[in-house]
Amino acid sequence: MIEKNRVVLYLTVATLAFAVLFPLVTGLNMYYLTVLILIVIFIIFASAWNFLTYSGQGSLGHAAFFGIGGYISTLIAVKSGLTPYLTIFIGGAGAALVGLFIGAICVRMKEWFLAMVTFGFAVIIQVLVASQFVSVTGGWDGVAAPPLISNTVPNYLVYEYYSILLIAVVVILLFRTILNSKIGLAFSAIRENELEARASGIDPVRYKLFAFMVSAYFSGLAGALEISYLGYVTPEIFGVDISFWPIIYSISGGLGTLAGPIIGTIVITLLWDGLQSLGLTYGRFIIIGIILVLVVIFLPRGLVSLPEVIKKRAPVWKARFNKLLSK
Amino acid sequence: MEIGLDIFLQVMVWGLYAGCIYILLATGLNLIFGVMKVVNFAHGQLLMIGAYVTFSFFVLTGFNPYVLLAASIPILIVIGVCIERLCFRPILGTGKLNEIFISIGLIYILENVAAMIWTDEWKTIRSPFEEITVTIGGMKIPVDYLIIIVTTVLILVGLYIFLKKTRLGLAVRATSQNRKAAMLVGINVERMDMLSFGIGAGLAGAAGTLWVVSGQVFNPYMGSVPAVKAFAIVIIGGLGSIPGAIIGGLILGIAENFTVLTIGGAWKDAVAFLILILVLIIKPNGLFGEKAE
Repeated sequence: MIEKNRVVLYLTVATLAFAVLFPLVTGLNMYYLTVLILIVIFIIFASAWNFLTYSGQGSLGHAAFFGIGGYISTLIAVKSGLTPYLTIFIGGAGAALVGLFIGAICVRMKEWFLAMVTFGFAVIIQVLVASQFVSVTGGWDGVAAPPLISNTVPNYLVYEYYSILLIAVVVILLFRTILNSKIGLAFSAIRENELEARASGIDPVRYKLFAFMVSAYFSGLAGALEISYLGYVTPEIFGVDISFWPIIYSISGGLGTLAGPIIGTIVITLLWDGLQSLGLTYGRFIIIGIILVLVVIFLPRGLVSLPEVIKKRAPVWKARFNKLLSK
Repeated sequence: MEIGLDIFLQVMVWGLYAGCIYILLATGLNLIFGVMKVVNFAHGQLLMIGAYVTFSFFVLTGFNPYVLLAASIPILIVIGVCIERLCFRPILGTGKLNEIFISIGLIYILENVAAMIWTDEWKTIRSPFEEITVTIGGMKIPVDYLIIIVTTVLILVGLYIFLKKTRLGLAVRATSQNRKAAMLVGINVERMDMLSFGIGAGLAGAAGTLWVVSGQVFNPYMGSVPAVKAFAIVIIGGLGSIPGAIIGGLILGIAENFTVLTIGGAWKDAVAFLILILVLIIKPNGLFGEKAE
């Protein structure tokens, strides 16, 4: 166990060192920075989605929180002139409030019911933003969003990247602290058997709502970061794709682990960009879809469990290989 | 807004017609759920494939598109059986989230394979009966709507006879009631899985043909919305209840068209979920749901 902890620590430090040093080593290459920024933002988003699954819940509509965070942060920044460094947190708070509302409705639902209702909320919120509050949200045209750092500053992307990286590290440490605390223990009790959890004095509703709020808050934060990076926001942000990405990242990395969404986001994003540069417009979706199906069937605990699986299977493969040679 | 009786009836007929497509999708989903206890979120993509199969055959042969039901249903049954064997059987019984994840993968695969084959432009065809309308009680109804409603009824009656009057249908119902007991009396439940998934996909294919025939536009990405609504209907009606699916489909078809008339087109897609959420707040297992999962 100690051995494993040490490996995890080394890997964490190595990843972090890589994330910090990479832009400097590559001479502040703009293309790499844009890729890295998007990866780090989606790591926050996927981790927030994954946080919800710890409490035995799931969501097919996290784009709702991502988008609300983006809209609230942008609108406040535009109207008040506050720096996005402050408004992103207000955006997160707005998403958390909506999360509390949706969570209160969903808290007694399970599996497909939960999936459908969360999905439905994303659709309803999209309609509200696009057609009901047009005077504020600009309808389908959207709103221009102020950037974190004005692009007149030299190397502004570098500062943005390090700010976002810092936020991501803090968020993941926070998740780690919460999950290692009594709250995390309550989450697993609820996830495994809600009735037993209640019998031992845990109030599932309170914990589930808490999980929903925290998850919504950081999804909103990620959305606000994404929007201030992109520079505009339209109702497209509530689309199905945005809801699906954190799920794909978390599953391919490993559901219910801290490292899973991080690894999944990095691997799938790099693969995605690689396939794009090969010119596979539709092919990349098909490949991602096939990978998702294969992972669910053959590697249900995600890429994180790959070393374990290989360790377990290696003797079998070796025996087979030797058999093949001796023939 | 003043709504006269004639407009009311007109909207009812539209709703009935829109409901038909939802009913076909929801019935298929329910059949699959009943037997396998699996929800195929990629069901709408099967509708989309059905629409494109109809389109391709229509362009190639020029047959009456209603005849092409004979092409879209069998082709979709084959696709459905393949999907069941390759994707859903390996994860049967491994947890309810996995099927959602598999479906997401399938959605990406099916949509983009279709986009590669047929490009992602919006397509539409013209029904040969486009110009013909029938006047009933003072309102003009396109004859296509009537044919679609009749076709749906025929398909549902056929399904009912299959399920209630044949031995195979009996085996399907037995598996859906109690999988283990069905296995004990010698029913090949895996074959029933394949069969129910095939029929479910075939019904989606029929829905696809009807979608095309009614002159609605379609592209590779149009499947998600009707599928999710169909699933909302399944939940509104109660998981596993086919009468529930039919009533839910009609309610939604009519509700949607009244929404367009009264509040505005933008709310058309959201109203399904508003109904869903309201129903679930009041009756957490749906209108005809049997028991809590």
